Amino acid sequence: MRVTKGAQIVAGTALLALAVAACGGGGATTGNPASGGAGDTPVRMELGEPQNLLVPSNTTESEGAEVLAAVFEPLVNYDENKQVVLAAAESIESTDNKVYTIKLKPYTWQDGTPVEAQNYVDAWNYAANQDNAQGAGYFFGRVEGYADLNPGEGKQVTTKEMKGLKAVDNSTLQVTLTAPFSQFKTMLGYTAFYPLPKSAFGADGKVTQEYGEKPIGQGLFKLDKPYKKGTDQAIDLSVYDKFPAKKPTGWTKLQFKLYNSSETAYNDLQADNVDIHDSLPASAISSAKTALGDRYQDQPDAGVGYIGFPLKYSDEYKDVKVREAISMAIDRKTIAETVFTGTRSPADDFINPAIDGYRQGACQACQYNPTKAKEQYAAAKGPAKLELGYNADGGHKEWIEAAANNLRANLGVEVTVKPFEKFANILDDLDAKKYKGMFRMGWAIDYPSAENYLTPIFSTGAIKTGSNYAGYSNKEFDDTVAKGDQAATPEEGLKFYQQADDILIKDLPYIPVYFYRNNSGYSTKVKNVKINLLNQVEWADVEKA
Amino acid sequence: MGRYVIRRLIQAIPVLLGATLFIFAIVFALPGDPIAALAGEKRQDPNIVMIMRDQYHLNDPLLLQYWYYISGIFLRGDFGKTFAGVPITQLMAGKFQVTLNLALVALVMEAVIGVLLGLWAALRRGQAIDTMILAATLLLISVPPLVTGFVLQLWLGVWLKQAVGTEIFPIAGISAGLRSYLLPGFVLAGTSIAYLTRLTRTSLVETLRSDYIRTATAKGLSRRRVIGRHGLRNALIPLVTFLGADLGSLMGGAVITETIFNIPGIGLQIYQGVYLREQPIVVGIVTILVLVYIVANLVVDLLYAVLDPRIRYE
Repeated sequence: MRVTKGAQIVAGTALLALAVAACGGGGATTGNPASGGAGDTPVRMELGEPQNLLVPSNTTESEGAEVLAAVFEPLVNYDENKQVVLAAAESIESTDNKVYTIKLKPYTWQDGTPVEAQNYVDAWNYAANQDNAQGAGYFFGRVEGYADLNPGEGKQVTTKEMKGLKAVDNSTLQVTLTAPFSQFKTMLGYTAFYPLPKSAFGADGKVTQEYGEKPIGQGLFKLDKPYKKGTDQAIDLSVYDKFPAKKPTGWTKLQFKLYNSSETAYNDLQADNVDIHDSLPASAISSAKTALGDRYQDQPDAGVGYIGFPLKYSDEYKDVKVREAISMAIDRKTIAETVFTGTRSPADDFINPAIDGYRQGACQACQYNPTKAKEQYAAAKGPAKLELGYNADGGHKEWIEAAANNLRANLGVEVTVKPFEKFANILDDLDAKKYKGMFRMGWAIDYPSAENYLTPIFSTGAIKTGSNYAGYSNKEFDDTVAKGDQAATPEEGLKFYQQADDILIKDLPYIPVYFYRNNSGYSTKVKNVKINLLNQVEWADVEKA
Repeated sequence: MGRYVIRRLIQAIPVLLGATLFIFAIVFALPGDPIAALAGEKRQDPNIVMIMRDQYHLNDPLLLQYWYYISGIFLRGDFGKTFAGVPITQLMAGKFQVTLNLALVALVMEAVIGVLLGLWAALRRGQAIDTMILAATLLLISVPPLVTGFVLQLWLGVWLKQAVGTEIFPIAGISAGLRSYLLPGFVLAGTSIAYLTRLTRTSLVETLRSDYIRTATAKGLSRRRVIGRHGLRNALIPLVTFLGADLGSLMGGAVITETIFNIPGIGLQIYQGVYLREQPIVVGIVTILVLVYIVANLVVDLLYAVLDPRIRYE
């Protein structure tokens, strides 16, 4: 029995230790706030975990951008007619679309100091410098001097500034581009173009970890406390008193609640535990329409889904008649309405309806026409076997299978679908010229201009540095886009972009399959929720119900 | 006894090293470049890829990478940083607590519900209640936690709140303390409750048939004492083994439950780590899980001696 006693003590102690450890953590890690003063409960919005710390130049995904959009005021915004309107900028002028003079409105940082033109210069130089490895650095690729900050792998960066950036005085910023670009104004609303205060930088000239956890902006909301990424389940913000533009009426506190599953967030929305959910899951759409009624909203989202061809090294799809036939054999309407339960709409142009420049029905070959498809495919002697690749991690299996079924039934060919682990694996195989099949591809815009559906995906220059995975190259297309870039006004530029769009429709380097839609829902506690072109909530308009 | 414990703990060291190297190599062997994958469907700037690969030693051979990692832990107590620049110790500290809470709630539910149901079924063997309990456990085993999770969340989380007006079972998060863990704990424990019920029933039925129970009954002991002291105690040994091993799987296998109920624990973190190919996260968590398994097994072995005096450890 001697041994038994010892064992009892040891086992008992171990269990006790586990129990104590468990209790110790009770509420300490939740990061869940006790709400503010009585009567001022926050407006709560669903959010996924931001990918990185909250630094504008390193935020290229939607969740971090949503938080930063609340903390910062961009230079320009977009109105309901998809047009650029000035926000933190007093005026943006250029005579040649190459040198832009930006005058700033008098804003202050949330620590009380005034925002100066130099803050923009510092932030943009930091973002563009390759040594800082900022994800959004490429946005500055059109600014003169970008190349000096990006000499390439293994090479020393010899300067810290782009030649094309100059703070003329405290409230005037001058930007010189390497070539005229009529859409530059449109770019300025994006996260990458936010300024940074002097205090953001540490002694080594890098943005500090503390700043990334509690960014100080010049926007409507300021963070109440540092956001501990990976630990906190909520980000709490309050209205910044000295914010000079429109503030929300009737409420001052905002809370982002972090969810891992949008289904869970939808259940919380139904129970009024969260007020705004801007990415309702496909599974909830049919029930949301009845359960939420007016509080369900459905609007175009600027993303596009395509099927691409490896044109640069495979001859199988070289004949445009083959690509047209494949395009006409796909029943986009059924895919959008049945497979995606209405969270997509059938694509009929390379430019998305959310953006100025879209023309309904522009792409003739995007209309479902199985008879013509079959004839044309046979006449053009299309390949007897087709392969369709997709990345298995993004919910693409269902629609790829549906498209494959369309091709089998309508073209009478053998179709295999090939899952890749991630999209990056498809890219690797395309770069290595290993993969010979078709592949899925998606595009979410960087800035709301028709040009953004053209240059980064289909220009010759984008084969090496951009997202031109098809390897499509057409001089006429490149030239037409360049004319649009150099046009005197954005409106005139748009005409050329539409001409370039026509060339794509004729050549079909990719076939557009669907446009994304934004499906959002609101609780009974808020009203007048509007979501802008960048998929961000217009907070100043939101009211408590 | 003390020596036995120390020997077991020393044996754990090679197990730990082997497990970490193994996991490290597995994550290393996954296809694709983790840095390029960070940019999703856009092409990551090749300069940035190179700079980040250097920063995270991704261009070095496997063993050298492993050395950087393991020496960091042992020499500097540094588990490394995620690609987003968050220290992994900070990530793990909060999450282990949360998952441990969840696992213990599940374990307690499992032990209490499982043993009670099993006892009830064993004592009413062959009667209606026995059949009903067995059928219920069959249902629990065959419905996956993904389904039980969402169904219970909708019924007891959403509808109950809408019907009653106040929140009884929180839908998501852990801000309501112990209350937040009840539903997810039950979902997590679901299949184990069923197994444990069946195990208890079988084990107890077996024990109650043995000679010493007949002897005890013949001695004139009360039924309560016969079943509790002589029957149940002997029947507990396989149950303790099961519970001990289950603590580890409850902690490591909570991915689905943690996702459904938005619980910021390690199950989810380990999934994200594997998905993003962040070796430091995966290996860090697995190391601690291995430790939990080792300690849990040790406790189980020691508990044998408590339950059965014939077992001794020298």
